[in-house]
Amino acid sequence: MNFADEIFELRELQRLEGHADRVWGLAWKPATGADGVPAVLASCSGDKTVRVWEQSPLTGSFQCKAVLEETHNRTVRSCAWSPSGKLLATASFDATTAIWEDIGGDFACISTLEGHENEVKSVSWNASGSLLATCGRDKSVWIWEVLPHNEFDCVSVLQGHTQDVKMVQWHPTMDILFSCSYDNTIKIWAEDGDNDDWHCVQTLNESNSGHTSTVWALSFNATGDKMVSCSDDLTIKIWGSDIMRMQSGDGNAPWKHLSTLSGYHDRTIFSVHWSRDGIIASGAADDAIRLFVESEDHLVDGPSYKLLLKKEKAHEMDVNAVQWSSMEVNRRLASASDDGTVKIWEFAASSAHKKLQL
Amino acid sequence: MDSTVDIFESSLNLEETHFKEGFDEGYGDGLISGKQEGEQVGLKTGFEVGEELGFYRGCVDVWNSAIRVDPNFVSARIQKSIKQMDDMLQKYPMSEPENESVSDIMDSLRLKFRAICASLNVKLEYSGYPRASDGGKIEF
Repeated sequence: MNFADEIFELRELQRLEGHADRVWGLAWKPATGADGVPAVLASCSGDKTVRVWEQSPLTGSFQCKAVLEETHNRTVRSCAWSPSGKLLATASFDATTAIWEDIGGDFACISTLEGHENEVKSVSWNASGSLLATCGRDKSVWIWEVLPHNEFDCVSVLQGHTQDVKMVQWHPTMDILFSCSYDNTIKIWAEDGDNDDWHCVQTLNESNSGHTSTVWALSFNATGDKMVSCSDDLTIKIWGSDIMRMQSGDGNAPWKHLSTLSGYHDRTIFSVHWSRDGIIASGAADDAIRLFVESEDHLVDGPSYKLLLKKEKAHEMDVNAVQWSSMEVNRRLASASDDGTVKIWEFAASSAHKKLQL
Repeated sequence: MDSTVDIFESSLNLEETHFKEGFDEGYGDGLISGKQEGEQVGLKTGFEVGEELGFYRGCVDVWNSAIRVDPNFVSARIQKSIKQMDDMLQKYPMSEPENESVSDIMDSLRLKFRAICASLNVKLEYSGYPRASDGGKIEF
């Protein structure tokens, strides 16, 4: 898609109200929102609940279809759908991770993973849905294997971060795990052979052009050869790796710093998400949402990125999460905020004014 | 000239003499109290390490007994982890506190123990069990 010749806008489609406290996380259910399957979105909140919203095929508006409550007794910080969309994992400050099964629109908690000493901050499924990762304030990263009959085995407890771990994220195609932390680093974890022996294979820190303050979130592009991270240091960083070498299993292909987007944010950047068609969205403490794309004029030492648009006052308070729908057809973005609302946005060429093409 | 120096020598060296006396006295006392303090710290640390190792030994022995009775008591993965803990406990250099491997082995033991407990869905602790995190500070 060519982003150069047109002016784009982020149009607010709907404001979802229902949570009684700040909204922390969002997850679009995989394979929904296209081919006649209504879009489904989960949101989690400081009100200890998870809400599941479904788009009505008739009116096109989202409605709350389920409230997942009375399981977590503290803030639900993060939620993630399994790749099949059958299970929803929710991570809570109550030190547990709950697994919910969607039984015809009714959600039942089928398992509770205990092990973290205190607040669990993030949860992520691997590409095949066979592994689950969690992380938290106890500085550890946990890997769980999904067994038959809703059982979960702890594969490994990983220690390496020296502070609170903010987010875990699996690589989109390979079983490589990424974690980012209050200790300003991103750590990359991989398995040695087939031995349950997971190790930190790389640490991205200040000495390799990494962040100088808390790293809040990270996300991958569609092919998985680039990663974006955002931080309290007011920058967004782009990292790249040799995907072919990674896939061939020929040792570890290291991740290298490609580009730093600085000067665009003046408050902490809490969330970053890369869309399937290459648009990076960021959510920050200045209540705004920004969109970035790779610009055509490449620099000698790597790709460069430009601000496509900035949506001021996207929310009334901090934007904690931004999440693109995985369906390319509708280019839909969801955002969650401290103001207690979730918003659905449509990204489209501005109908009002098209740039003159000379 | 020589005779006048002799008269004042003792008073001129007064400060230095007192300094040396004080230093020697302090050094002697410090040596005794330092040894006592060191002994106390050693006893305390030794007790803590022994208590933790003994606790793991006990858990591993009970799990091993359970596996002998019922080989399907736990999954193959957990059995392997229990075996790994067993090996680490055996090679832990109990009488060499200055051996550099002690903290590495203890860290590995703690991680394996947490993983086994999580998979078994049990919470095993004794009062005074070390926590991985310091707690205290609240942030998001």
